[in-house]
Amino acid sequence: MIESTGSQVSPSVLEPWRRTAAASVGLYFHFIRLAFLKFLAYRLRYYTGVVSYTIFVSGHYYLYTALFASRIADSGDATIGGLSLDEMITYVAISWIGRSFYFNNIARDLMRMITEGEIAMQLIKPFHVQTVMMFEAVGESAFRLIMFTLPIMVVIVPLFHIGRPPESILYLWTFISFCLALVIYSQINFLLGCLAFNMKNIQGVLRAKMVSMDFLTGVVVPFTFFPEWFQRAVEWLPFQGISYIPVTIYLGKRPGEELYAALLLQVAWAVGLFIAGRLVWRISVRHVVVQGG
Amino acid sequence: MKETEINWTDLPQKNRMERTVWQAGIFAAYFAQFVKMRLAYRMDFFVDTLAVSFSMVIQLAVLSTLFSKVKALDGWSFEQVLFIYAFSLLPLGLFNLVSVNLYRFSDQYIIQGKFDRVLLRPVGTLAQVIFESFNVSGLNEILLGIVMMTYAGMKLGLDFGVQEILMLAVLAPSASLVYMGVFLAITSVSFWHEDRMGLAPPVYNIIRFSRYPITIYSLPIRIFLTFVLPFAWVAFFPATWFLGSEEFGRLALLTPLVGLVVFGGSVLIWQRGVRNYASTGS
Repeated sequence: MIESTGSQVSPSVLEPWRRTAAASVGLYFHFIRLAFLKFLAYRLRYYTGVVSYTIFVSGHYYLYTALFASRIADSGDATIGGLSLDEMITYVAISWIGRSFYFNNIARDLMRMITEGEIAMQLIKPFHVQTVMMFEAVGESAFRLIMFTLPIMVVIVPLFHIGRPPESILYLWTFISFCLALVIYSQINFLLGCLAFNMKNIQGVLRAKMVSMDFLTGVVVPFTFFPEWFQRAVEWLPFQGISYIPVTIYLGKRPGEELYAALLLQVAWAVGLFIAGRLVWRISVRHVVVQGG
Repeated sequence: MKETEINWTDLPQKNRMERTVWQAGIFAAYFAQFVKMRLAYRMDFFVDTLAVSFSMVIQLAVLSTLFSKVKALDGWSFEQVLFIYAFSLLPLGLFNLVSVNLYRFSDQYIIQGKFDRVLLRPVGTLAQVIFESFNVSGLNEILLGIVMMTYAGMKLGLDFGVQEILMLAVLAPSASLVYMGVFLAITSVSFWHEDRMGLAPPVYNIIRFSRYPITIYSLPIRIFLTFVLPFAWVAFFPATWFLGSEEFGRLALLTPLVGLVVFGGSVLIWQRGVRNYASTGS
């Protein structure tokens, strides 16, 4: 990938230890651009994705509508877990809209790189694979935002009469929160992908991830539906920073200081997981064995 | 496939019966080959069993959490919904077991040109494609489905006699014919239109919502799931027969017919597609 941009890259950029911070930013920005263009070539694939996301939201819409109706008939209580039906529908819609933005498959990409031996080519290049992959994820999400998230919003928001946040400024905070979610999500994926250094086949791990991620991030059911001990437990995990925090920010469930506390928690997880990824990578590449290739 | 399309002269002359036995032998050999291949990766099956069980645990946790908020969902109790869900795993498992090549068909057989090889062999094209690979995780789904059905059935006090077991043996395979038919039709589209993924993912995503009682959906969606994309026949209608539902249980008896019609129609589309096939030349 460096080769293709050779004419624009000065020699000092190719020597990581002598590279200025500005040169690094330029280099990594390039990977954002490249990822964006790569996904742009496959944009047609995302049209059916819009249909899929509409199906997810519709299915949950009917499920929760029936659930709240039965709840009112049973006990006269119009809220579940502190949410009204309208808030619940908004919760579901914003969760899936956000997911269409932060989602990526870094774990699978990294696994392929390792098992197919391409990792050797990555290791001789003058950059940190982890950082490059993170910026590629940013490029992918930039593409998703324009070609995927926006079309989904155009369909879902009017279809289900999705409410605005209580204050307009929360639009901005929700977006920032989802951007932090992107970093957390990509770093968790990166760490899972690193497992492929030690395990021959991580397909099972990736399947388990696929199943549990939407659950642990709060996309499927809000945490407040669950028993107290479960809510305490997820507070100590990074997954709430991927969906539950941004969505509750949108709903205005985090007034005043709580909003900043939640965003800081996301920043802390993003930084912490990035450092963890760097450490795991450093240990793993020491005994990497590439068979042929 | 008509006999006249294939030149059988190189093969020993056989009557219909002998040929069926001969073909069955070939597919048994396909399966044996597949099993040998899989046994090289025994750990995969174990890991897959864990992943499938894990996914069940999470879905059960979600279901029981939702039901902890209400006595019944639109008149359906937790055990009833659990039973419908458990039943749905049987046709889904059967379908997943044999459908793996339908997913890959556009990419591997059309775009990469593997279909040329299929056409060279004097055995039905569809059967070859289907029997070339299996997805063993389907067995996990069937097993877990039976366990969960037994649990929910016991909680509901359903008595499972010979009649029920016979019905299960008829309804579960017919329901999986509906899945097969729908996805075969979607796969056949790739004979005319090359696309790696196409329509399959959104349709696959509808499956998970066809396991809830259909009564929670609005009328247009109910009609859609009954007549257009007939997934209501895969889980809800057949499962309600066991639950003794007057209203929907009777519809369950039509499941074999629906399965045959959907699957038969798709086979016709497939055969037209095979005639329309032009190799990519790779």
